[in-house]
Amino acid sequence: MDTVSPLERVLRGLAITVVILFFMFPIVWIFLMSFQTNETILRVPPSVVFEPTLTNYTALITGKLETAAGTLEIAFMRNLWNSLFLSTASVAVGLLLGVPAAYAFGRLKFRGSEDIAFTLLSFRFAPPLLVLLPLTIYFQKIGLADTYVGLIWVYQLIVLPLILWIVRGYFEDIPADIEYAYRIAGHSWFSTFRKIALPLAGPGIAAAGLLAFIFAWNNFIFALVLASADKQPVTVGALAFVTASGIQYGQVAAGIVLSIAPTFALALYAQRYLVEGLSLGAVKG
Amino acid sequence: MSLKLTDIVKRFKTETVLDGVSLSVGRGETLVLFGPSGAGKTVLLRLIAGVVDPDGGTIEIEGRDMDGVEPEDRGIGMAFQNFALFPHMDAMANIASPLTARRTGREAIAETVGKVARMLKIDHVLHHKPKELSNGQKQRTALARALAGAPQILLLDDPLRNVDAKLRFEMRLELPRLLRSQDATVIYVTQDYKEAMALGDRIAVMNGHGIQQIGTPEDIYLRPANIEIARLFGDPVINLLDVVPEAADGSGGVQVRLSDQPVALVGGYAGTVGTDCVLGLRPEAMRFVDPGTPGAIPVEVEAETPLNEKTVTLTLTQRGREIMVSRPSGMPGPDQGTAYVAVDAKDALLFDRATGQRIAPGAHSPALQEDVA
Amino acid sequence: MTQTAPAALPRRRFRVGRRALPYLLSLPALLTCIGILIPFFTAVVYSLQRYRLSQPWARKFNWGENYLNFMSDPAFWNTFKVSMSYAILTVGIELLLGLGIALLLQKRTRFNNFVSIMLLMPLMTAPALASLMWKLMTNPGFGILSYFAELLGFEDFRWASDPSTALLTVVIVDVWVYTPFIMILLLAGLRSLPTQPFEAASLDGVPRLFVFWRITLPMLTPFLLTATLFRVIESIQQFDIIYAMTQGGPGDKLTVFQVEAYLNFFQFTNVGRSAALLMILWAITYFLSNVFIKNWLRLREKQRGEA
Repeated sequence: MDTVSPLERVLRGLAITVVILFFMFPIVWIFLMSFQTNETILRVPPSVVFEPTLTNYTALITGKLETAAGTLEIAFMRNLWNSLFLSTASVAVGLLLGVPAAYAFGRLKFRGSEDIAFTLLSFRFAPPLLVLLPLTIYFQKIGLADTYVGLIWVYQLIVLPLILWIVRGYFEDIPADIEYAYRIAGHSWFSTFRKIALPLAGPGIAAAGLLAFIFAWNNFIFALVLASADKQPVTVGALAFVTASGIQYGQVAAGIVLSIAPTFALALYAQRYLVEGLSLGAVKG
Repeated sequence: MSLKLTDIVKRFKTETVLDGVSLSVGRGETLVLFGPSGAGKTVLLRLIAGVVDPDGGTIEIEGRDMDGVEPEDRGIGMAFQNFALFPHMDAMANIASPLTARRTGREAIAETVGKVARMLKIDHVLHHKPKELSNGQKQRTALARALAGAPQILLLDDPLRNVDAKLRFEMRLELPRLLRSQDATVIYVTQDYKEAMALGDRIAVMNGHGIQQIGTPEDIYLRPANIEIARLFGDPVINLLDVVPEAADGSGGVQVRLSDQPVALVGGYAGTVGTDCVLGLRPEAMRFVDPGTPGAIPVEVEAETPLNEKTVTLTLTQRGREIMVSRPSGMPGPDQGTAYVAVDAKDALLFDRATGQRIAPGAHSPALQEDVA
Repeated sequence: MTQTAPAALPRRRFRVGRRALPYLLSLPALLTCIGILIPFFTAVVYSLQRYRLSQPWARKFNWGENYLNFMSDPAFWNTFKVSMSYAILTVGIELLLGLGIALLLQKRTRFNNFVSIMLLMPLMTAPALASLMWKLMTNPGFGILSYFAELLGFEDFRWASDPSTALLTVVIVDVWVYTPFIMILLLAGLRSLPTQPFEAASLDGVPRLFVFWRITLPMLTPFLLTATLFRVIESIQQFDIIYAMTQGGPGDKLTVFQVEAYLNFFQFTNVGRSAALLMILWAITYFLSNVFIKNWLRLREKQRGEA
C-alpha cells in the first residue's frame, strides 16, 4: 500500500469526496433549511446564501405557528417529550428485564437456555405488523390501547433482544473464577451478581442501553399503529406535522433537526459500541 | 476439618475428566494434588469448593454431605492459579471480602486485613487496584484473601505457577510456615514435584482421570506406583533401563546385567526371572568408583552439569544407553574418557515393562502384583 | 486472626435452588415476550378467516382461502414483485457501495476514522425522518434535487410522485440510510483480518486484484454474509421509508408486504387478507433468519474467541 500511484491517490480522494457528499449533503441541507424562512427556501435557483433566522425553532418550541391565516397550535414539543419518555422508559424496563436474563443466559447456562435466547432473538426479525395488528384489537379489549404502558411493552420487542445479546457477551467475558472467588469468600449469588458481575459488565450495559435508546427513538411503526396524536413520538409526529403545517417547510426542517439531534449526540458518545450493537453483539468494533 | 471424597465423577459434555476419585484428608493435614496439566486437579478443587457440581459421588466435610450446599456456606478459602482478584476493588477490599460476607465490624476487618497483609508483606499496597500490583503482589493478595477468613479448609490452586522464579523460591520457603500457622486442612495443587515434596504431608498423584497413588513424599519418591510417577518425581529424571532379571549364580538371588556386569537385586524378586522389566535407577543411587572395583560398570563420560547442590554427569554405557549420575557438588568427579560406576542395588526400582507398574520386592509373580495405592 | 470467629460449620440455608435460579432470572423477560406470542397466534387464526372489520357478522373460518386467493390475485403478485425488487436492489447496491467505502477507509488513520463516524449519521437517522428529509429535497416546488435534475436536463422530474421513478427514489433513501450499516460491519471485519497473508502476498508481489479476490473476499465472507442476510431480512419488511415517502403510492407502485398489509387492515379493514399477507412475509423472514442466525452465531463465536 506504500507505493500508491498518483492516479490512484486522486481517484481515492475523488471517491471519498463523492461518498461524503452523498451521505452528508441531506443532513447539511436540511440543517440549513431549518434556519430559513419560506421565502428563501422557495427561491429559484436555490442558494446557500441567506440570512439565518431562529423563527422556525421558536415557533416549534412555543408551540405557536403564526401563519397568514392566523395562529396554529402545533404539538411538536409534545412529540419530542413522548419520544424522550417512551425511549427512556422502554430502555429502563428493558434493562430491568434483560440484564438478569442476559446473566442467566451468559453465565449460568441452563437446559434450553440457547433455545430461549434464540427465540427472543427471532422476535427481532419477525414482521412487526404481524404482532401489531392483532395487538390493536387486544389492546382495545384490555384497555392498553393508546397508553404509554402498552407502547413501552411493545417497544420491548426491539429493546430486549438488543440488550440481551450485547450484555450477555459482556457477562461471558468476565472470568468465571472471579465470580467463584467471591462466592467462596462467603457471598450469595445475588451479592456476587450485584457486586461483581454488574460493575464489571457496566460499560456493556451502558452501551446496550444507549443503543436501545437510539433504536427505540427511531422506531416508527409501533407508535403509528398503536398511538394516537397525544402519545406519538417525533417519528410519527413529524409526518403528521407536514400535513398540518401545510407549506411551512422551514419548521418541518427545524422539527427534523430537533428530532435527529439526540440520536446523533448519543451515537457520537457511544460510537465505540455501535458496531457491536448493530451486529447484536457479534462483531466487536 | 476433615474432608472426604467418594467415587467422584465429573464429565464435561462427553469427556470424562474425573472417573471415580476417592480421597480423604484429615484435620490439619496438607495434601498436595500433584500431576500434569489436564489431570483434573483444578476441577477437583472446584468440586470441593462447590462452584461446580459433580456428576456422581459424594463430597463430605466433617462428615456432612455437601450436596446442595452453596459455595458460600462451605467455610472454604481458595486461592486461584490466575489469582482471580476483583479488578474493580483495591487489595484491601479484595482481602476483606471473606470478612464483609460475615458482617464483621469495620475495625475488626481492618485489623485482620492488616495482620494478614503484614504477614504476606503487602501492607504497603493495600490501596492499590489489582492492575497496579506486580505479579508477586497479586499472588500474595490472592493468598491473603484466601487466608483472611481463617477458613477451616484451604484450597490453593497452584498459587506459585504464575510468579517469577525468585518469588517462587521465596514462597516455597515461606508457605509451610504460613500453612502451619493457619491450622487449616489444606489441599495444594501443583505441577512442581519439589513444591509437592516440600509442602505435602501426603501427596496424591493425579494422572489420566484419577488418582494413581497417594502417600507421603518419601513413599512416592522411594516407592512410586509406576514408571510414570517415578519419572514425574526427581530431577534429573530417573534412569530407566530395559532388563531381563536372571537367577544369580549360586546364591538363589536375582540379578540383572548392566554392560555385562551383574548387579544383584536386593529383596525377593524371584518371580521376575526371565520377564521383561525396566530397571529404575535414581541418579543419586549411583556413584563413581575407582577402576577395578568389583561389579563396577564402565561408562563413557559425555557431559557434566552443576545443578545447585549437586553435579550431574551424563554418561554412555558400552551399548550406547544414556545414564545420568549425580553426586554432591564438591565431591571430585571423573575425568573425560572411561569411568566406572557402582550401583546401590538397594535403591534400584524394578517395573513390569508391559504394565509399567512397580514390582515390589517379595512379590512372587508380576502378574499378581497389585497397585499399592 | 483469632479475633474473627472461625467459620461456622457448613450450614444449609433456605435459598433459591441452583437449578431454578436461571429460570427465575430469565422469566420476566420471557413473560414479556410471551405476551407478544399471543398476538402472533391470533394472526395465524385471522389469516385463516374471512374477517372484515366492516362486516364483523360475516366473520368465519375459510381456512386456506385467503392464501389460495393470492394465487390468482395480481395485487398479491405485485406486492411480491415490488418487495423482492426493493430488497434485491437496496441490498445489492448497499453491499457494493458499503464494501467499496469500507475498502477506501480500511487504513486506520485519523481522517478515515473521522469519515467513518461521520457516515454513521444517516444510519442514526430514523428511517421515517430520513424519508421526510428526502421528501423535502425532492419537492417539485423547491427541492434541491428536483432543481439538480432539471439542471441535468430532466424536465419535470417528479421523483417519488412519478410511477416510473418512485421505486428508484425510495431505494435511494434506503441506500442512504443503510449503506453505512454494511460499511461499518465490513470495516470492522477488514480491520480484524490477520495481517500476515497480506504481508506475504505483498512481499511475493502478488497483484492486488488477485489478493482482493483470493484473500480479502474469502476471509471477509462471514462478515459479508451476516451483513447481507441482516439487511435482506430488514429490507424485505421495509415499511418506514416507503410509508413515510408515499404510503405505497403512486397507485400500487410501492405496496410492499408490510405497507400492503397495513393498508388492507386500516383502509380496507380486510383483516383476513392482511394477516395472510403477513404470514407469508413471516415465512420468508423466518427461513432467512434461521440461515442468518447460524451465520451470525458462527461469526460471534469466532470474534469472541479472538477477543
